[in-house]
Amino acid sequence: MNPHGHLFWWLVAAFCCVWYSTVTVYVAIKGARDIRGMLGRLARTKRGDEPDSERAS
Amino acid sequence: MSHFDPWIDGSIVGVYLLATLIAGVMVRRYVGKVEDYLVAGREMDVYLGIASLAATEFGIVTCMYTAQAGYTKGFVGAMPGILQAVAMLVIGLTGFCIKPLRLSGVMTIPELFQRQFGPRVRWAAGLVIILGGLLNMGLYLRIGGEFLSAVVGFDPGWLEWVMTALLVLVLVYTVLGGMLSVLVTDYLQFVVMSVGLLVVTYLVFADVGWSRLVETVETHHGAGGFDPLAAGGPGWSFLLFQSCLQVAATITWQPVIARLLSAKDERTGRRMYVRTSAFFAARFVIPGLWGIAALAMLTPVELAGLPPGADPSLHAMPVYLARLVPVGLMGLLVAAMLAADMSTDSSYMLTWGSVIYNDLCAPFRKGPWSEKRGLFWNRTIVVLIGVFLLFFGLWFPLKGDLWTYFSVTGTIYLSSVSVLLVSCCYWKRANSWGAAAAIFFGAAFPVATLVLPYLDPEKSFVLTRLGDNWNGFLAYVLAAVGMIVGSLLKPASRSGPTVAMGASS
Repeated sequence: MNPHGHLFWWLVAAFCCVWYSTVTVYVAIKGARDIRGMLGRLARTKRGDEPDSERAS
Repeated sequence: MSHFDPWIDGSIVGVYLLATLIAGVMVRRYVGKVEDYLVAGREMDVYLGIASLAATEFGIVTCMYTAQAGYTKGFVGAMPGILQAVAMLVIGLTGFCIKPLRLSGVMTIPELFQRQFGPRVRWAAGLVIILGGLLNMGLYLRIGGEFLSAVVGFDPGWLEWVMTALLVLVLVYTVLGGMLSVLVTDYLQFVVMSVGLLVVTYLVFADVGWSRLVETVETHHGAGGFDPLAAGGPGWSFLLFQSCLQVAATITWQPVIARLLSAKDERTGRRMYVRTSAFFAARFVIPGLWGIAALAMLTPVELAGLPPGADPSLHAMPVYLARLVPVGLMGLLVAAMLAADMSTDSSYMLTWGSVIYNDLCAPFRKGPWSEKRGLFWNRTIVVLIGVFLLFFGLWFPLKGDLWTYFSVTGTIYLSSVSVLLVSCCYWKRANSWGAAAAIFFGAAFPVATLVLPYLDPEKSFVLTRLGDNWNGFLAYVLAAVGMIVGSLLKPASRSGPTVAMGASS
C-alpha cells in the first residue's frame, strides 16, 4: 500500500462493486423464493386460525 | 441540464411505481394480527431479509449524505460504512446482543428492557427512540425531493407536491400491509435500486476514471482524504465517534432490529447480518465515488447555477448525474432512487410506529386489545408519522452537513439504548437507576448540540469548541458511566439478567 492508501481504496471500491453485482443477482433469485415461502406459510397459518364457519363461508 | 425524457424515462418510472403499489397492496390480505403487521408473522427468510435490510438502509438521503462525505472528505468519507460493515460481520458471527434479543421473542427493544428495568424505563427508552428516530427521519422527504428536482429538472416550486405524492403512495401500501407489504416492496425496490446504482457507477467510472478520482482527492484533501489520521483528515475524534455510532446502530437501530425480529429464527437473523455486512460498506463507498466524481467534473460555472442558498457539497452530485446520465438510463436512475427512498420511508414509518404502539402506548392500554383494534391504532400511528414528516421536512432549516445531523440525532437514543441493551443482556447488576442515568446523559449532549445553535449560538461555544465528533463520543461514554454508577448506587434487589438466552423464539 502506498503512503496515501490508494491501493487500499482501490481494493475497497473494487470489492464493493463486484460483491454488490453478485449479490444483486443472487438475492433477486433467492429472495423471490423466500417471498413465496413466507406468503405460503402465512396463508396456512391464517387458514388454521379461522373458525370453521368463516372457512366455510 | 437534465436528460430526463418525460415519455421514455417517465414511462420507466411509472411502470415501477405501479408495480410497487400493486405488490404492496396485494399482500394486505395476509395481515390478520398485530404480529403480522409489525414483524411479518416472524416468517422472513434470509435472502428476503438481505433485500429488505439493504433497501431500507439505503435511501436518497443516504446517497446524498454519503456523496457529500465523498465531496467534502474524499475517500475517508466512506469510513463510517466500513466500520459498520465490520460491526455487522462481527456481531452477526458472534450473536452479540442480537441473539438474546431475538430469542426473547419481543417486538421492540424497549419491551425487552421492561423485563430487567421495569415499565418506566421501557417508556423512557421508547420516548428517546422516537425522539431520535423521528428527528433523524424528518429530513428524508425534503432531501429526496431536492435530489429529484436536480436530476429530473422539475421546478423546485413543485418539490412539496412531489414529496406529498410520494409519501401518499408509500403510506397506502404501508398502512394496509404493514411489514408484509414493506418486505415484498423492499424486494422489488432492492432489485431496481441495485441495478440503477451499478449502472450509474459504471457510467461514472467511464466518465472520470480511477486515476482522476485519486488526483481530485489528492488535490482537494491531500493525505487526509485517504487516511483519517493523516494531516487534514478528520482524526481520532471522528473514528471514535463513528465506531461507537456504528456498533450501537448495528445492535439497536430500530429499522435494522425490526428485520432481526421479523426473521423466522435467531440463526436466520444472524445469517442476514453476516451476508448484508458488505452492503454497509458499499452504501458509503459507491455514492462517495459519485461525490468525488462531481468534485472532479463540475466547473465553477455549473456550481454557480445552483439555487440560492443551496449547499454545493450536497447538490453537486445530483447536478453531475443530471449531466452524465443519458435518456433511458435516466428513467432507471430515477426509478432506482425512488425505490431506495420509498423502501426507507415505508420501513422507518412502520418501525418508529411500532415503538409508539408497543411501548409508548403500553401504559394506556387497559387490558388486552383485540387484534382488530391493535391493527387500527398501528395504521393510525403510521399515518400520523407521515403527516409529521411532511410538515417537519417542509420547515426545518438544516445547519451543518447532513451526516453530522443524522449522527447527532441518531445518538440521542443510540448512545443510551445500546448501553441498556448490552447491560440487559450481559450485566446482572444493571438496574433501573443505571438505566435512567444512561438515558438522561446519553441524550443530553446530542440534544444540546442540536438545539443550542438554533436558540442561542453564543451559548453553544463549549459544544462548538469540542466539535460534533467529541460531543457524540462523549454521549456514549457518559451513557456507559451513568449506567455503571447508577446501577452500583442502587442496592441490588434481584440477581441475574432476565433476558432468556435460551427462550423459545
